[in-house]
Amino acid sequence: MRTFTTLLAKETRALFVSPIAYAVMAVFLLLMGYTFTAMLFLNKIATLVHAFFQASMLLLLIVPVITMRLLAEERRSGTLELLLTSPVREIEVVLAKFLASMAVIVTMLAPTVAYPITLQIFGDPDWGPVYSGYLGLVLLGGALTSLGLAISALTANQIVAASVSLGLFLLMWMLDSLGSLLPDPYGAIVVNLSLLAHFTPFATGALYLSDLGFFTTLILLGLLLSVRALARR
Amino acid sequence: MAPVVVAEHLTKHYGRRLGVEDVSFAAGAGEVLGLLGPNGSGKTTILRILTGYLQASSGRAWVAGFDIVEQGLEARRRIGYVPEDVPLYPSMRVGEFLAFMGRLKGLGARPLRQAVDATCTRLALEAVRGLAIGKLSRGYRQRVMIAQALLNDPDVLILDEPTNGLDPRQIIEVRELIRSLSARHTILVTSHILSEIERVATRVAILLNGRLLSVQPLEQGASPRLRVRVRAASPDAVRAALGAVPGVTGIVSQTPVADGVQDLVVQLGAPSAAEAVAARLAAGDFGLLEMTETRTDLEGLFLELTGRAAA
Repeated sequence: MRTFTTLLAKETRALFVSPIAYAVMAVFLLLMGYTFTAMLFLNKIATLVHAFFQASMLLLLIVPVITMRLLAEERRSGTLELLLTSPVREIEVVLAKFLASMAVIVTMLAPTVAYPITLQIFGDPDWGPVYSGYLGLVLLGGALTSLGLAISALTANQIVAASVSLGLFLLMWMLDSLGSLLPDPYGAIVVNLSLLAHFTPFATGALYLSDLGFFTTLILLGLLLSVRALARR
Repeated sequence: MAPVVVAEHLTKHYGRRLGVEDVSFAAGAGEVLGLLGPNGSGKTTILRILTGYLQASSGRAWVAGFDIVEQGLEARRRIGYVPEDVPLYPSMRVGEFLAFMGRLKGLGARPLRQAVDATCTRLALEAVRGLAIGKLSRGYRQRVMIAQALLNDPDVLILDEPTNGLDPRQIIEVRELIRSLSARHTILVTSHILSEIERVATRVAILLNGRLLSVQPLEQGASPRLRVRVRAASPDAVRAALGAVPGVTGIVSQTPVADGVQDLVVQLGAPSAAEAVAARLAAGDFGLLEMTETRTDLEGLFLELTGRAAA
């Protein structure tokens, strides 16, 4: 446990010391603030549905920037050799990097809590969709982070890691529309692999165990693939 | 004495390319085993297998009695490793990095503080302790890397080309350090430079194309004189005369250097036999042109073994 907390502290510090984290947060909050304000004045409805969809799209673009260097940089610089020849398990390295990245995502989402508070002050928002929306964003962020981490574990090139991650995320997001073009049962299978299809209920206030299970499975799959990628050497 | 490092029939393939094949050796406590071979001979692969970074395609290895695969964590706790490329975190400060590595190696708060202080003092890192690693010279970075390897006082130190990229003064310092550490640690050190291995190792393992050709003892600190090279105008007479001198164990003729002039390498059973050889040559009329001592000929051995293997 001590080894894990040591690694987690180092990873968290590395991410928060990096200017990348602050640049990403600044862009995210700027665009989110713009969307929230514009939608509020346009619709005059106390809802965050649009903001949640906007945030989810931004996560697709931002998470690859956060995850691209996690293991690729360690591999390129050789520090992965230093880490893995220490008395450390691969799972500890992977979990530390995953949780540190999640800390960045949660920190990035945290200031947006000002939006529902604003709605509460000036209106009467339904808090159910607000809670489920944030849960959906955290789960989506977790799934994207673990998959991005796995891709970062396979290469020593950050640009390759970011490009492949972005491509995979966009493809998984858009599978929804591809699924509607395919005959059953293929269409249903493809739709069920879509990030959008599983995120929409969270954003609109509907909680299904299947959606929860989908994102949890993706998180575990990404972590497992990351560990396997590190162990195969 | 039980060996501290044991490698048995280690083989590693990178896809279809052979890394090392059927390498077996053992190193005891306090021994400095040098792995010598040209670039690409498999030295780093062997070290990476022993440190658990690479998994062997076949074969097994133990460090301090722990199987490096099945008891990997225990084995790695007993290893201090200095990789060839000196991989460090440039944004970390020296003290911070050493504390991080010490915690990974399982040191508690107080022993960690003491270990970091002691290694900083030993490796003369006090002056740069608060500096970011990225701002250090190559020599200091190498010292930081060696310091992290020593933090938990490991049974085995594994040093991959530790003098690479260092200036002459730094090379001498690292060499002295290795010698001083050999009293407390079993050391595996690689180099593709013969003289480096010859100066620090007690035994040398010679590798070529992933195969272990030979493991030979090197006598550190002993008189280097076990061979004398004699250049004479009457080599046959010299051979006949020296063959009867006590302590002479062999005479090897070399290619003639001029008309009738030839070098003979006289192998001696003991350093004192050199005096008897000199006295015998001075007493006769052999057309003696030159007589010199030659060092234990690791270079010759290396060339002979690698030449034979290549043939």
